[in-house]
Amino acid sequence: MSHSKITMALAGNPNAGKTTLFNKLTGARQHVGNYPGITVSHKEGYFKHQDHKIIITDLPGTYSLTAYSVEEIVSRDFLTNEKPDVVINIVDASNLERNLYLTTQFLEMGVPLIIALNMMDVARDRGIEIRFKKLSELLGIPVVPIIARSGKGKEELISEAIKIANKNLPLISKDISYGEDLDEVLMELIDTIAEASFLTPNYTPRFTAIKYLEHDDQMLTKGAESNPELARHLEQTVGVVSDHLLKTMDVYPEAIIADHRYGFIKSIVRQGVMTHKFDTDRLYTSDRIDKVLTNRLMGPVVMLAILFGLYQFTFSWSELPVLWMEGFFSWLGATVEFYLPDGMLKSMVISGVIDGVGGVLGFVPLIMFMFFGIAVLEDSGYLARVAFMMDRIFRTFGLHGSSVMPFIVSGGIAGGCAVPGVMATRTLRSPKERMATLLTVPFMNCGAKVPVLVLLIGTFFNEHKALYMFLFTMHAWLVALFAAKFLRMTVLKGEATPFVMELPPYRFPTFQGLLIHTWERTWQYIKKAGTVILGISILLWALMTFPGLPDSQSEYYETLRNQTLSSFTPHVQQELEKRISKSNQLSADAEMLRNKLNLIDQQQSAATLKNSVAGKIGSFFEPVSSFAGFDWRTNIAMLGGFAAKEVIISTLGTVYSMGDLSSENAGSLGQRLFNDPNWNRVVAVSAMVFIMFYAPCFVTLVCIAKEASWKWAFFSMAFNTVFAFLAAVAIFQIGSLFG
Amino acid sequence: MTLKELNKKCHCFAKKTLRRCGKGRRRILHHGPLSESNYAGKVKICKVTGDRKLCARMASLGVIPGEEAELICPKSGSRCILRINGGTLSLDQTTSNNIIVQSV
Repeated sequence: MSHSKITMALAGNPNAGKTTLFNKLTGARQHVGNYPGITVSHKEGYFKHQDHKIIITDLPGTYSLTAYSVEEIVSRDFLTNEKPDVVINIVDASNLERNLYLTTQFLEMGVPLIIALNMMDVARDRGIEIRFKKLSELLGIPVVPIIARSGKGKEELISEAIKIANKNLPLISKDISYGEDLDEVLMELIDTIAEASFLTPNYTPRFTAIKYLEHDDQMLTKGAESNPELARHLEQTVGVVSDHLLKTMDVYPEAIIADHRYGFIKSIVRQGVMTHKFDTDRLYTSDRIDKVLTNRLMGPVVMLAILFGLYQFTFSWSELPVLWMEGFFSWLGATVEFYLPDGMLKSMVISGVIDGVGGVLGFVPLIMFMFFGIAVLEDSGYLARVAFMMDRIFRTFGLHGSSVMPFIVSGGIAGGCAVPGVMATRTLRSPKERMATLLTVPFMNCGAKVPVLVLLIGTFFNEHKALYMFLFTMHAWLVALFAAKFLRMTVLKGEATPFVMELPPYRFPTFQGLLIHTWERTWQYIKKAGTVILGISILLWALMTFPGLPDSQSEYYETLRNQTLSSFTPHVQQELEKRISKSNQLSADAEMLRNKLNLIDQQQSAATLKNSVAGKIGSFFEPVSSFAGFDWRTNIAMLGGFAAKEVIISTLGTVYSMGDLSSENAGSLGQRLFNDPNWNRVVAVSAMVFIMFYAPCFVTLVCIAKEASWKWAFFSMAFNTVFAFLAAVAIFQIGSLFG
Repeated sequence: MTLKELNKKCHCFAKKTLRRCGKGRRRILHHGPLSESNYAGKVKICKVTGDRKLCARMASLGVIPGEEAELICPKSGSRCILRINGGTLSLDQTTSNNIIVQSV
């Protein structure tokens, strides 16, 4: 055996089933990263086949190998730089002609190639019969029929691929004729290129010549760098032909090349490779569904219904698991409270670790259900239609139809998370539209803002809860879209990119695929809770605890406590002590003593908090924040929200509970807010608007910095906070004016 | 290799030229940009205008003069779905303005 370690690349059109096959082959043994410098995901996986260890790369889906998009450049560069031992070209059998277009380019490139003819079952259902042996014979490369969804044929595919990898074939271009006009020039170019060994050995002379004719920007640059004189000569020769074609036929050479490639494919397909049982003109089920689902009137109605269904599914089905999680964490808190001795450690574990991380992990079921729902829409092919339909609206605001996905993930239907939302902007190709999307998705109501909104709406607008929730969701959309428009008119000025997208046929998603997609995204969320949020909760706990009360004040509270105790009989004191271990009914006196002691505890906690670092920061900002109606306690919560929005509610709970560790349920927090003189309906609306729109949480900022740059991350922080504060001030001032 | 050898070696359509939109015997219901087509059904692509990148991209997706395609949702807010070469393409108004078709 010449190889023990073999590198393979999976290439093909988008939606041909690359990722499905990749998941089937590698299972969980995969790693998702980024190609250096750009934001196209690099997926690599490992598996063993017989005695071979195989490293397989899932290349981004492309239609061609010309430098029209980042994905195409990435795929081509990977093939030339990494030189995988074999390229597995996944071809969708139900859409053979379109898919073979990419195959022709691999053939011209001369890479060691094998075709995995996927979705043979779908093709059969459509009445398409493909003689794969004939196809193999005509193309001169092995063709293996597979069904990626079920994994059928994958063993044979890998065995065949290993055979090719072991042959160590040199790059040999397959010749396709491009018509008399071009062929003549092509020969001339090939001779010149071969003579000068121009851009070899990475590219065959024929491939280079074709790319020059196609006016491929990247190849032209590469050529100019390697041999400027020859490059100029080649460009001149090509220029003459281009001008001639434009004059005589009104087309560019690339159109003729594409036409001949499709002609080449047709000639192959018609030599008995593909036969239709049914009338070829008939519309497939997928197209018939599209007639209804993308209809001008019916389309949006169905889309709203489906999105509402997703919303229902996410919130109603996840209710019970979310309760379980909450139950688990309060049980954990109670257990820790019971077993750990009073002191700093206990306070840190309960307020810092369990409340902070528990608050985030409590949402995991909800997030998981939402990602599952989105994965269903994505894998079934409907999301592409949503993007298509939304493009018209999004375009008005300077965005792209594909922006819809990041918006939905971030909380377009309340309950997402801006972190995967920011990452989902990778599907956008135009840098400016992408940046505008990236900067505005944090305005959406993510899963962490929802509980705060629910709490405040439930407390102050109890009579119309659903309506207000809906209004606030719509408000988030409007603000995000107008902010995008504003950005696109100012800092991100530029042309809109055309929306050209292949709509994948409707398909039943595979369960494995759904689970992998759901898990990938949920895991990112859990990781965030385990790392960043854990650290931040502990930091916040420290900020809210230290430096503690000065000794004189601590003594004062201690004396107060002793005085209170001594004002009751020893019998009552003993009764209260016993009550701590046994849950007996207390006498009226003991009850009174307990209440008095609690009051002193609360006062002490309030004093501690006000004296703490967080309290000082909160008080420092009070003169400014009072314009929006926020007192120092709300300020602390908002400050916590900079770290993670989940923290707002737990911080509010802490600052308003004042030391009562065990009574942090939302109802009582709501009650406390309702009774607080600093809170009323106007303050609630002002606070909700501020919370919805101010600086994205720290994790989102890190993501923005990773996807764009730190400059943009800081821009987003400042822009959002200033905007949110002005809006909150306006609401508070106008609202207060009208009472 | 000479041209003759190449033609022999390749699947032979070296003489293939782009088919143009001709005046057929049937009455043409529509001739003009795809975005203005009022008829769902078969269309023939006559010309792709616009910048070179767009033309090239459309060509690689099979939208080439002479090709026949099926229009699925005409006039749905000026954006259309086009079935061509077995695939389904969604196009926005700018792009469909640049594709001149005639109904078949």
